[in-house]
Amino acid sequence: MKFMIEDLPVLFPYPRVYPEQYAYMCDLKRTLDAGGHCVLEMPSGTGKTVSLLSLIVAYQQFYPEHRKLIYCSRTMSEIEKALAELQALMKYRADQLGEVEDFRGLGLTSRKNLCLHPSVKQEKSGSVVDSRCRSLTAGFVKEKKERGEDVDLCIYHDNLDLLEPHNLIPPGVWTLDGMLRYGEQQKQCPYFTARRMMPFCNVIIYSYHYLLDPKIAERVSKELSKDCIVVFDEAHNIDNVCIESLSIDLTEDSLRKAARGANNLERRITEMKETDADKLQNEYAKLVEGLREADQARDEGAFMSNPALPDDLLKEAVPGNIRRAEHFTAFLKRFIEYLKTRMKVLHVISETPPSFLQHLKELTFIEKKPLRFCAERLTSLVRTLELTNIEDYQPLQEVASFATLVATYDTGFLLILEPYESDTASVPNPILHFACLDAAIAIKPVFDRFSSVIITSGTISPLEMYPKMLGFEAVVQESYAMTLARRSFLPMIVTRGSDQSQISSGFQTRDDPQVVRNYGNLLIEFSKLTPDGMVVFFPSYLYMERVISAWQKMEILDQVWKSKLILVETPDSQETSLALETYRTACSNGRGAILLCVARGKVSEGIDFDHHYGRTVLCIGVPFQYTESRILKARLEFLRETYRIRENDFLSFDAMRHCAQCLGRVLRGKDDYGIMVMADKRFAKKRAQLPKWIGSALLEADANMSVDQAVATAKKFLKVMSKPFPARMQDGISTWSYEQLIQHQQKLEGLKVYDTDNGEANGNGRHIHGDQIMAEAQAAEDGMGIDDDMDAAMMDLEAGRAA
Amino acid sequence: MSPVSKRDPRLGGGGGGGPDGELHTVMRGLSLQAPMPTDTGPAEVCPVCKSSRYLNSSLRFLVNPECYHKMCESCVDRIFSHGPAQCPIPGCRRTLRKHRFREQTFEDIQVEREVDIRKKVQAVFNKREEEFEGLREYNDYLNDVEDITFNLVNNIDVEETGRRFEAYQKANEKEIEENAQLAQQEKVSFSAMQKAERQQARERRDAARREENDERREVEENKRDVLNRLASGADAETVAKEGQQVQLKKRMDRQAATERQRQLQAASDSRNGSSNFVVKGLKAKQKAEPEAPIDPFGGIRIASKYFTLQDHYVWEGIQDTQKDVKHIAGGYDVRDYTHRSLCAAFSGLGVFIADEMTERDRATQDSEAIGTVRADIGLKDSLMADPL
Repeated sequence: MKFMIEDLPVLFPYPRVYPEQYAYMCDLKRTLDAGGHCVLEMPSGTGKTVSLLSLIVAYQQFYPEHRKLIYCSRTMSEIEKALAELQALMKYRADQLGEVEDFRGLGLTSRKNLCLHPSVKQEKSGSVVDSRCRSLTAGFVKEKKERGEDVDLCIYHDNLDLLEPHNLIPPGVWTLDGMLRYGEQQKQCPYFTARRMMPFCNVIIYSYHYLLDPKIAERVSKELSKDCIVVFDEAHNIDNVCIESLSIDLTEDSLRKAARGANNLERRITEMKETDADKLQNEYAKLVEGLREADQARDEGAFMSNPALPDDLLKEAVPGNIRRAEHFTAFLKRFIEYLKTRMKVLHVISETPPSFLQHLKELTFIEKKPLRFCAERLTSLVRTLELTNIEDYQPLQEVASFATLVATYDTGFLLILEPYESDTASVPNPILHFACLDAAIAIKPVFDRFSSVIITSGTISPLEMYPKMLGFEAVVQESYAMTLARRSFLPMIVTRGSDQSQISSGFQTRDDPQVVRNYGNLLIEFSKLTPDGMVVFFPSYLYMERVISAWQKMEILDQVWKSKLILVETPDSQETSLALETYRTACSNGRGAILLCVARGKVSEGIDFDHHYGRTVLCIGVPFQYTESRILKARLEFLRETYRIRENDFLSFDAMRHCAQCLGRVLRGKDDYGIMVMADKRFAKKRAQLPKWIGSALLEADANMSVDQAVATAKKFLKVMSKPFPARMQDGISTWSYEQLIQHQQKLEGLKVYDTDNGEANGNGRHIHGDQIMAEAQAAEDGMGIDDDMDAAMMDLEAGRAA
Repeated sequence: MSPVSKRDPRLGGGGGGGPDGELHTVMRGLSLQAPMPTDTGPAEVCPVCKSSRYLNSSLRFLVNPECYHKMCESCVDRIFSHGPAQCPIPGCRRTLRKHRFREQTFEDIQVEREVDIRKKVQAVFNKREEEFEGLREYNDYLNDVEDITFNLVNNIDVEETGRRFEAYQKANEKEIEENAQLAQQEKVSFSAMQKAERQQARERRDAARREENDERREVEENKRDVLNRLASGADAETVAKEGQQVQLKKRMDRQAATERQRQLQAASDSRNGSSNFVVKGLKAKQKAEPEAPIDPFGGIRIASKYFTLQDHYVWEGIQDTQKDVKHIAGGYDVRDYTHRSLCAAFSGLGVFIADEMTERDRATQDSEAIGTVRADIGLKDSLMADPL
């Protein structure tokens, strides 16, 4: 389907488009034209990825700037899905245009997933693959080979050097599998092909970390130009990703290993002094001059890079007192020894970086400045020493990045030393948390560097929270409702049990047998009425275990057992994937199953329960974070003081975004249907914080129910849903054909002319607003009553749509 | 690079003596004579009395910065309470005093010792970055200092390094003192600032908590109020609506108030930031530059372009005078004379007499006219003076 958005021709690879997809594309175009950042919330299962890709590709190809697209997603499977979508889109474009465009789209993932080397790819752990790969591909190894030494090289990597550097792989869209196949055919390394081709690509699809984690970002994403379009998909957790990428935890064990690493370095230096003193001297001379090696950026095998340093600092020379290699190792040893001393303290300490530095200086005479250069100096030293077994130095590297970060940032970080694992433990097992409190630090370079950053997800409410937390200004903030031809999902808030006593997972009442029994009754009732699969979310593993054991005693599980198989998520990922597999089998063969899982666990994000895999989702309790955590407390305080976000607001926002994620698991498309139950009295007050598309479907009458009422409503809902629903019923309401789209555009055009005639057109009058489109679609939907006596036509599944 | 293998062989004698003896004893003291105590594991046993922490959980180990041998507290009491005694570890003959025993800060005794040395070095080499011309020089200086420290720590050329150290200390006594004071000041102001910041954070936290409590209480009150009014028989809908409005209004008011307060505070902070704590970010005070000699002509160099003065002229008239003690003793310099005569000889150059003559003639002719103008001016002056 081909249509115009203002002056831009968009090729959309399906014959019909959803109104919200059209609105989404309009808003995207508006953002790209204006050149700013935006936050967009689009219901899950409405083809977000495909509309995003088709608009941006159209934009790229139509306008002469050819802005590059960087699409970041969270997991491997999402990356693969996006690549497949892109491939389909490009194929459609080629068919329509009658020619194959000169276009390259690549995906990048870790070495482990893209390795072809016969022995390296056998390795299980990602870090081992990384280090073995480095030892086969690093620059100095090659130099050694050229000097005639006997060293192993990776043939796949070397073959790349024989090709033209800007044409390592023919144009087209390459999925990860495709890359692997092509690599095997041509005997070339897919990982480095992707890395090196990045400047020549139109679309790059990779994980968040390549852009957010400063340690990786500098190496991988350095050469991307300013006018790139950056998209963060599934971005509801982006603040946590940012924070994690800059936080470091040190334990006694890691310090011990780091100390061993420092000793090894020292030994290597003495060895090198005897055999090859020139090299060290060369390095020294370079450091004196303050020259950062020009080829350093190109060094793909670099050991580590600097975590988020300001640019002016990077250009400065390394301080004199760590210039010599032996001075530097002594410096590291002293620092590690100091940290060990700090670990001996038996009470909790939390302090700011400046006070840490002050104490450090008093005790060990380590100044702030050399500490800042620690990471860079270590990288340089490792390169000079030509170390290959880099994984041994991982802990040392961690300490070095810690040193650099602590000396660079005065605010936004906090050091928390916890001597005991839990409050009841008596044997000390100290952990030094270097906690990043400010999500804006990690993402700031991204916002500064790129002119358009698009943050989008299925559940990213409330929208204004994200610009606040991440420190940017959004040009467009939009949330779209879902246009539906019939009410295909039923959100409900259950606040009371059948006995009218309130239910809550709140701290005071969570062990109350009455509450547990009421939750149990809710489970029994819904297990009886739900066809096929049902997913239950608990706030935490601890609470889940307690409730399950209580249910066992109350013989609730025995009753559930009659209608459904019961499966439980555990922290162990292997066990969980086994449980998931069994769950899917049970749902498919008609036995039906219940999956009990945790709102912040693996299941709650990234695993879809479409169609019969999930007909009911039950949220037992509000999934608040564990508020006694010291890191969380520190972060809350930071948010309050810096961004004026109140503690309760943040906690409730965080709980609700997880809850929305859980609820969104069951509805993966317009032909899907499901029941969403939120069972806690506290949900009644948090209605406003749900994403717009869920919130608008939640009727006033369903917002404060008891268990028996909820059961009755759910039964009625399922009865409606069980009637066949032909796809043509959706026409013109929740799907538009080309003619309907044109009609809509003309109508808007007319409206606009009318507006201008009345002189009411404001500055944005030129643009088509997503809101308007949605409002209209909504009106159309309301106007058309659902015809109960419709013909029993065959249900036309639009499988391709359920993206 | 263990200190034992690289030890300076000359160190055995270790003669300190003389006025600078103190430093030498320090250096010698810091060098390790006996091999390092090897057990650093968790099963700690006192090498002297062999009592272990396993049996006595309150066991404390102490070290003396003379030789860094570890022993338990009771051994220290037993051996050294009657005055200085020799270290009981076999092979170590150092005389130790009880008051210098202390608890070990770092697990690694090498680092403990290194830090002690650094303390001494840092006290002397305390130049600041501002004192250097550029970053490069400062870095070179840091490198040199590190070299000295490294040598001292690892016992390389201790004698030589010690001498350099002392020479530097003597030469820069005053600056060292000044910088030490500066550092002290900075430290004090830093800790004061920290304290103030902590205090402020606490206050803010309290304020936030109070605010939250207030809000909750107000909501409660409002609810009660609504209930009361309902009980007294008012129209339910209007009461509920009013209640909501009141609450909303209160919240807005409160937000506005806090905002205002915050702005006020920010303003006052920026106005007199030093009211209750020390100003941060002050640059360390600059030393005044030495005054340059007075230049009466304001930088204009007066030199003739026609001649340059030579030191020596072969001319009979002055040859004798030049050597005559009677003249020289009085401060007479022949060069003054030659300079003056050269000046006189060249001073006519650049002056053209013919031009000057015509100029003078014209001046005499005009003199009468000038005279009458003068008279006019004089008259006017007197006229104006009259009314007064």
